[in-house]
Amino acid sequence: METFLRTWLEWPSVAHFIERYTWAWPLGETFHFFGIILLVGGVGMFDLRLLGFAKQLPVAAVRRLLPWGVTGFIFCLVTGFMFVTGVRANVPMGPYDVIRSNPWLQLKFLFIALAGLNLFAFYVTGMDRIVDKLGPGDSAPPLAKAIAFASLFLWLGVIYFGRLIPEGL
Amino acid sequence: MWDFLESIENSGFATYVRETPTWPAYSTVLALHTFGMAFLVGLSGVIALRVLGVVPELPLNPLKKLQPAIVIGFWVNAITGLILTTLAIRSLLANWDFYVKLVAIAFAVVSLVKMRHYAFGDSVPDDVVAAPEARRWAKAMLFFWGLAVLGGRLTAYATNIRMQSAAAVAVGAAILLLLARFVVRHSRRAKTTRDPVTTSQSVTVR
Repeated sequence: METFLRTWLEWPSVAHFIERYTWAWPLGETFHFFGIILLVGGVGMFDLRLLGFAKQLPVAAVRRLLPWGVTGFIFCLVTGFMFVTGVRANVPMGPYDVIRSNPWLQLKFLFIALAGLNLFAFYVTGMDRIVDKLGPGDSAPPLAKAIAFASLFLWLGVIYFGRLIPEGL
Repeated sequence: MWDFLESIENSGFATYVRETPTWPAYSTVLALHTFGMAFLVGLSGVIALRVLGVVPELPLNPLKKLQPAIVIGFWVNAITGLILTTLAIRSLLANWDFYVKLVAIAFAVVSLVKMRHYAFGDSVPDDVVAAPEARRWAKAMLFFWGLAVLGGRLTAYATNIRMQSAAAVAVGAAILLLLARFVVRHSRRAKTTRDPVTTSQSVTVR
């Protein structure tokens, strides 16, 4: 398993690209941040509405922002993949060793996975259909609020642990 | 003047935040700066998307309620930004990228205020398309927020890397904007075909 992960995570071409083109890393960082903004603007806004913020907005309309949040997540995923697989361009370690030794990166991955499970729970419990019917001024059911709170907490946690990653390198 | 700046940089507080190798110090201030940015730019971006007609389903006036979260985001950013500046104030003041960031933030805030001024009003129906002035300010705001984020990212790099990176971001952003424009127009056209009555009503209001 270790050999498989070491081989699979090591992308010399990405590390070489980052080393050769010095603009690649800052470009990735900038788009990672654009992704965070889209994620908070889309998913965070939806969570805030379910928690009772800007209640006059119908939930079905706010839901139209979710594709922007998903776009933001894809930005973060692609650039994050570049940071991990090309990490050798910045530190004398391979991606596998960085992931194994950096608790903040591990926590970030854990929170992303938990956010995914939380989203799964949102659909499995049927909350997606229930909240879609909420009009202006309507409150979300307690379970939907709990899921929204968890989502906001987990995504902010992802951002927080992401900022701590350099401390663990 | 330089001695004064040096004394700020070497103050007990700045030294603690900069050099303490524990998680509540530098990285946490940096994380709070990112939270502030995400809420400030993310939520004001939501208003801009509605004003630009990208998400026409959102009623316009209730978006005013986002203002407190946007203001909190701004102040979190201002306070943490000030703290981060004191940690390396001399090198930042010698970095033109830092000034680009500050000017971009100032223009973005002005654009946000102007956009709000033209977009919101008690007599404005929720389903109406925002005034052309509001749309212009929304575009300006998004541009300046993008520039501010870019400026913030690039302050840590050498001048030649900054120039190359800024050019790469500009090219990347232009390609993505064209792609987004195509996707939004395509989905709107698909919606018109699917639901001609509702869409023709909203087009009439425009």
